[in-house]
Amino acid sequence: MVSKKPQTGGTVLFNVLQQHGVEHVFGYPGGAIMPIYDALYDSDIKHFLCRHEQGASFSAIGYARASQKVGVCLATSGPGATNLITGLADALADSIPVVAITGQVATSSMGSDAFQEIDIFGLSLACTKHSFQVRDVNELADILHQAFAIALEGRQGPVLVDIPKDIQLAIVDKPVDNIYVAKRTLVDSKVNPQLKIESANIGTALALLKQAKKPILYVGGGVGMADAVTELREFISVTDIPSVSTLKGLGAVNPSDECYLGMLGMHGTKAANFAVQRCDLLIAVGARFDDRVTGKLAEFAPHAKIIHFDIDQAEINKRRKVDVSILGDLKVNLPALAAPLSIHEWHGECKHMRESFVWQYDHPGETIFAPAVLSEISRTMVKNTVVTTDVGQHQMWAAQHMTFEHPTNFLTSGGMGTMGFGVPAAIGAQISRPDDTVIAVTGDGSFMMNVQELSTIKRFQLPVKIVLIDNSKLGMVRQWQDLFFDGRLSETDLSDNPDFVMLANAFDIKSKVITKKEQVSAAINEMLTHEGAYLLQVKIDASDNVWPLVPPNTANDKMMEST
Amino acid sequence: MQQHTLRITAQDQPTVLERLLQVTRYRGFIVTGMTMFGRVDESVLDIELTVQSEKSIDHLHNQLNKLIDVDGISVKKSDALQCPT
Repeated sequence: MVSKKPQTGGTVLFNVLQQHGVEHVFGYPGGAIMPIYDALYDSDIKHFLCRHEQGASFSAIGYARASQKVGVCLATSGPGATNLITGLADALADSIPVVAITGQVATSSMGSDAFQEIDIFGLSLACTKHSFQVRDVNELADILHQAFAIALEGRQGPVLVDIPKDIQLAIVDKPVDNIYVAKRTLVDSKVNPQLKIESANIGTALALLKQAKKPILYVGGGVGMADAVTELREFISVTDIPSVSTLKGLGAVNPSDECYLGMLGMHGTKAANFAVQRCDLLIAVGARFDDRVTGKLAEFAPHAKIIHFDIDQAEINKRRKVDVSILGDLKVNLPALAAPLSIHEWHGECKHMRESFVWQYDHPGETIFAPAVLSEISRTMVKNTVVTTDVGQHQMWAAQHMTFEHPTNFLTSGGMGTMGFGVPAAIGAQISRPDDTVIAVTGDGSFMMNVQELSTIKRFQLPVKIVLIDNSKLGMVRQWQDLFFDGRLSETDLSDNPDFVMLANAFDIKSKVITKKEQVSAAINEMLTHEGAYLLQVKIDASDNVWPLVPPNTANDKMMEST
Repeated sequence: MQQHTLRITAQDQPTVLERLLQVTRYRGFIVTGMTMFGRVDESVLDIELTVQSEKSIDHLHNQLNKLIDVDGISVKKSDALQCPT
């Protein structure tokens, strides 16, 4: 409804957010965003006060990734805005639709090095899909509509809207109502440039596919982002094609498919990496030949022709020259290539590799083996549980040893590899999906990077479960120091960590520490059946490594499996 | 090292030049020449950007083309490498 009261920029902001269906936002107030927080006071939108703007940005990302909606975060000018930067970079690297609103000093003070003034627009250039600075309150509504469209269309990504304080207070000429209008089409055809089917390329791709004796489907995060999981599974069902997944693609392929070989790349399965190295046709679907996937690029899939499906033209031929590219919407393009194949022998070979290279969980001694814990949690957790991770060894173990039925159930910082992501992302996921269990798998290094967000868990009584894999080390860096830097363990010891159980209890979060294998099952059960938030600290051997590992600048089939 | 000239049509936004230059630098190209004209009575800019790099010009072309304010780009290979004086 349009109120007769004159509308300020702050009111317009929340009305437009409501028009886009936004119900929840994450943020932290401060001087230059006070008029917006004043308008929030009268808004139906629920604000989640985080304890650091970086936490707010990661919660917005977790919210967006778990719900496939746009995540929204707010911060004040200067340090508030700079604290959002890592979140924006994370969202850009992983193509996550986020709209970040920053307060700015009044236009009359801009450019004068005013208190809490920073050129956040300038800073945003390298870490957003697009950014705006509002100079006239009457342009605010249109800019916000554009921000949502740009965030969502084509290859998704973060958009920043910087709003000076006087614009937040200024009265608009024409009021804006707050009635939800389904997705608006935009303004600028640029936003959605690549949606036509490329029928000529589809024909060439079909011919390549029919000639192939050893094709592999290389599934990336784009499948989930395009909401094309159903189409992908149908494609696999029709073609019987063996598949591998990137970190961000996990959950897209049905994990019980008999020819799904798991994650490829640096910490991929032997089956996935061997199959890709032997294949004669690699079909990349919403994936971008990232260096963590390819290993030594010149020796990646050396016998394969490449078909590349993507929404972003700039990814085609960026790292690997392709034979055919198919630009556009996967939901439309994947079915166009779905035809039965005669690859019985290759199918059998891949199935055999899947069966031969099963994970081993026999671990000497009494100390707990993290992969076994994560595998047990994965088998025990209820359907549609969302798992977030931080970054490091625990992240790779989660990717290797847990299985997911959908990409929206596994939220991890892929491209940017941002430590501190896991707990705030879990908060966002829990708020977007209040009826689903949310588990943050973290490490003792990463956990401390946004530990203040335990306060957000407490404030909103969120039942987030935290599994803290604790080796009192920066484990992944320590592993690399041992393997590639002559064991010179520089600044990776965290043996002076706080008492994590006591720390959790300080935030009214139930907590337990386990140190022995025989404690694992009961502890998992206690955590998963506990109604509120829970932190399970799992002490592991500091020398445990993530295997396999493809060393730097090495072909993916030359992986290390032990020291 | 190859030299190319990009003819770019872009929205007349005060920020557009900064965006073009940021992407050009980040993607590994050096700007060796630049001209910019606003069209009379149109909110459109015509920009010519001459760049040098060992990388493929397609790489930069594709990345600049993603900028929301950019309407179109054509690429011309420069015949000879000009020596900066």
